[in-house]
Amino acid sequence: MTKTFPPERIRNFCIIAHIDHGKSTLADRFLELTGAVEPRRAQEQMLDSMDLERERGITIKAAGVSLTAEVDGEEYLLNLIDTPGHVDFAYEVEKSLQACEGALLLIDAAQGIQAQTVANAHLALDHDLTVIPVFNKVDLPHARPEEIAEELENTLLLERERALRCSAKTGEGVREVLEAVVREIPPPQGDPDAPLRALVFDARYDEFRGVILYLRVVEGTLRKGDQVRLLGVGATYETLELGKSTPEPTPVERLSAGEVGYFVSNIKTLEDVRVGDTLALAKGAEVEPLPGYRDPQPMVWCGLYPVNPGDFEDLRAALNALKLNDSSLVFEPETSDALGFGFRCGFLGLLHMEIVQERLERESDLDIVQTAPSVPYEILFSDGTTRIIHRPGDLPDPNFFEEIREPVVRAHVLVPTESIGAIMKLCSERRGRFLRQEHLSSHRVMLTWDLPLAEVIYDFYDKLKSATRGYGTMNFEEPRFEAADLVKLRILVGGKEADALSCICHRDAAQRRGRAVLKKLKKEIPRHQFEVALQAAVGGKIVARENIRALGKNVTAKCYGGDITRKRKLLAKQKEGKKRMKSIGNVEVPQKAFLAVLSTEE
Amino acid sequence: MGPGLYVHLPWCVRKCRYCDFHSHAWRDQDLTRTVDALLCEAERRAGGMRPKTVFVGGGTPTLLPAPELRRLLDGLDAVTSFRASAVEVTCEANPESFDDVRAEALRAGGVDRISLGVQSLDDATLARWDRVHDADAARAAFRRAREHGFVRVNVDLIFGWPGHDAEAWRTELEEVLGWEPEHVSCYELMVEPDTALGRAARRGRFAPADDRHRRRLFDLTREVCAAHGFGGYEVSAFARAGEACAHNLNYWRSGEWVGLGVGATSRSELELRTNLTDPAAWTEAALATGDPVGEVERPDPRTRLFDRFLMGLRLPEEGVDLARARDATGLDPERVFGDAWRTLLDDGRLERAAPDRIRVGEEGLRHLDTVLLELLPDETRVHEV
Ligand SMILES: Nc1nc2c(ncn2[C@@H]2O[C@H](COP(=O)(O)OP(=O)(O)OP(=O)(O)O)[C@@H](O)[C@H]2O)c(=O)[nH]1
Ligand code: SF4
Ligand SMILES: [Mg+2]
Repeated sequence: MTKTFPPERIRNFCIIAHIDHGKSTLADRFLELTGAVEPRRAQEQMLDSMDLERERGITIKAAGVSLTAEVDGEEYLLNLIDTPGHVDFAYEVEKSLQACEGALLLIDAAQGIQAQTVANAHLALDHDLTVIPVFNKVDLPHARPEEIAEELENTLLLERERALRCSAKTGEGVREVLEAVVREIPPPQGDPDAPLRALVFDARYDEFRGVILYLRVVEGTLRKGDQVRLLGVGATYETLELGKSTPEPTPVERLSAGEVGYFVSNIKTLEDVRVGDTLALAKGAEVEPLPGYRDPQPMVWCGLYPVNPGDFEDLRAALNALKLNDSSLVFEPETSDALGFGFRCGFLGLLHMEIVQERLERESDLDIVQTAPSVPYEILFSDGTTRIIHRPGDLPDPNFFEEIREPVVRAHVLVPTESIGAIMKLCSERRGRFLRQEHLSSHRVMLTWDLPLAEVIYDFYDKLKSATRGYGTMNFEEPRFEAADLVKLRILVGGKEADALSCICHRDAAQRRGRAVLKKLKKEIPRHQFEVALQAAVGGKIVARENIRALGKNVTAKCYGGDITRKRKLLAKQKEGKKRMKSIGNVEVPQKAFLAVLSTEE
Repeated sequence: MGPGLYVHLPWCVRKCRYCDFHSHAWRDQDLTRTVDALLCEAERRAGGMRPKTVFVGGGTPTLLPAPELRRLLDGLDAVTSFRASAVEVTCEANPESFDDVRAEALRAGGVDRISLGVQSLDDATLARWDRVHDADAARAAFRRAREHGFVRVNVDLIFGWPGHDAEAWRTELEEVLGWEPEHVSCYELMVEPDTALGRAARRGRFAPADDRHRRRLFDLTREVCAAHGFGGYEVSAFARAGEACAHNLNYWRSGEWVGLGVGATSRSELELRTNLTDPAAWTEAALATGDPVGEVERPDPRTRLFDRFLMGLRLPEEGVDLARARDATGLDPERVFGDAWRTLLDDGRLERAAPDRIRVGEEGLRHLDTVLLELLPDETRVHEV
């Protein structure tokens, strides 16, 4: 594909949808249809290249690929970006949109419009993209395209006539979708002879070549060998290699206005670049930077501690390694009385947290204790200054601050009409503020609530799913901070405060929460030879208590000559298990218990 | 205590649900061949041994027909001269097969102590565990042992299954003690992974009794036995004065012994060896070479020291002989166990029986596994088998 295409023969588009609606599968069909990959070499969800993406069957990072296709007798260059559907990775979608003129809005014809469908469609429209709605999975017996067409009109104000129908599984209608891309999405504007401005819409770390930047050339032309400058970070680099992903990386001599491709120089780490930055020629006319993106803010924090204190440095190395290709991960060292030295880590959301933890365990072979996730809080001091804290232990004494503010998100919850009551109840229990209700169709609605983020990360999804028998979905917008009556709930195990178990919660919920945590702890902490007292306290006041009664007996009934080795091995195994526990005073606490703060069991 | 000789017979009528011994349901396997193989192994591994104690166990030794039992005992004596050397010769017997002819064969063959597998006096319980006899058969078997002149008899019992009522247990135990055996072994029901019971537990179809209840039964057992003059000299073993089982004491005192038969273990100070555990493989190897060895372990001195506590702390009266432990391993337990040792002595879970003897206290006995866990040296590696 070293051939060059004039801008009018280029289409830049992305596929956006709710999670699992078939974006990556549709991308597979495009790759096959255009001959980019031979069908027999194809794997499912080709563009999901990370192990974890393949295993979980979800897309985590947006991935771009260039295809050529003949439509109406002309050959076109199609730059496609497959995006993730999960809300944690919404910023990946936002990045992708800036590199495109159009978007395929995929809707699962059986599930219909879901929360991320709405959110992503709005994002695309806000960016002035041409949005082509596509009903996917029409092969499913319970597909109901008519009803979904109604939802489309009601919710997104997109005319039902424009919607295409296809099955990314069988390939039915996929060719028509491709043709619509060419016919409906406008070609990129931009003068190939103007001064160079290229948007860095993604960056990845490659073990062998360092950082690879993904560019969308907005104006001008970038040639191999050019000296370029990243306007935001202010660094200058030489263009060592330019290319396109087809999906194999294929070097090219230049990238012109409207084109999408990758850029390699000797950039060492992802820290040295910023996605959303503008790349321009080092010499020549001054150019205005492109609008760019905001950095995503970590909204979920938790502590990660090595089980074996000696592994602290290894954990740091492992986190650094992950950060090389995941710039949204942040971390800083912290210490805990109970857990020793570890790191406080910030994530985009719960899924992101889960994925990072999984990668750490897999890629570094470390045993790790994770504390319960929490959100950041903003403290307003009497002198008017504010400070963000992201661990409960950092909450100052109530006498020393004016106000504590928590992140509140605007949540859009899409549910079947029969679940409205249950969801209203759930949201109001979670200290929500109801805003409005809109009908998607005769039996589905979108409820909009303002919800404290802390309540959302506290098993809200599970509750939502069970209240709607799996049919409810939710999306939320960037949080803002609002004052609330929050207190620190302290947990004491055997009379000793377990800092890693304490949490910040609403004053009215402290007792209920305390009881739930203690119940869960009681389940997780094995019985000891002595009785273990569990207490929850706000300030000096005990709000809940439990007891773990002493173990009655623990002695093997039979041990004769033939049992020595087996018995000894059994004990050694138990000892290993014990080593993986952390002690609070003389109480051994298993790792799982540190997540007990999340428990809502009453 | 001199060397012990253990002889294992792997066959039973049926496998009991809780059992994780090297025992297998007998499906017409050639018992003559089993005896041949045992004698081959004896010749090679126990020739000229002159054991102090002999224990024929299983499985169910009394599954062998009387002539085969006799042939086994004669053959063993020819090789080891146990009839002249041994102070105690025990044979395990199960009620369903301990008939007059076999009793006679055992007696004539040199056995002087019978260990009877009674387990329970509740027929429903016996049936639930797939035992193949009822309580009356057990009563009869005990009488038969006496009729044939066995002056030393042990009765095995199991307590602590879910729903095992304390009073019911007391009644069972008192009835058995009323038969006036010399020894009773009262085992708390253990749910071992590799048993029918263990599998049921994993599938959630069996939940062990609450540990407080099991403790109550354990305490009750010691109390009732003591009241009848039976000293609890080991976790599960109770005996009238002078009637402790010498063969088993040798295990708990970390003596040396030779084990013959499927899966049998032998110990010398530096080595633990275990025979092949598959009956067919063991028979093959025993007949071919007389040495059907499966695994050999040569524990390092720290491990050997720990093993002495693992076994010796089971004896709540006599405990572990520290001088002997030092001699055998070249290590000082106080040094090796360090902090754990001091903590356990401080809180009374361990106590000094004599200046150079350590034993468990009352609480320590009931938490022996926890005590051992604390003593276990960190370096003890888990070797996967
Ligand atoms: N029956 C049917 N199944 C489909 C179709 N398209 C996709 N699927 C299945 O739907 C599931 C999700 O497909 P993906 O392509 O991974 O969905 P995605 O939108 O990329 O998901 P995320 O990247 O996680 O947001 C997979 O099991 C696909 O095989 C279709 O047209 N028909
Ligand atoms: S009779 Fe004894 S050895 Fe045989 S299966 Fe039952 S408990 Fe096990
Ligand atoms: Mg995908």
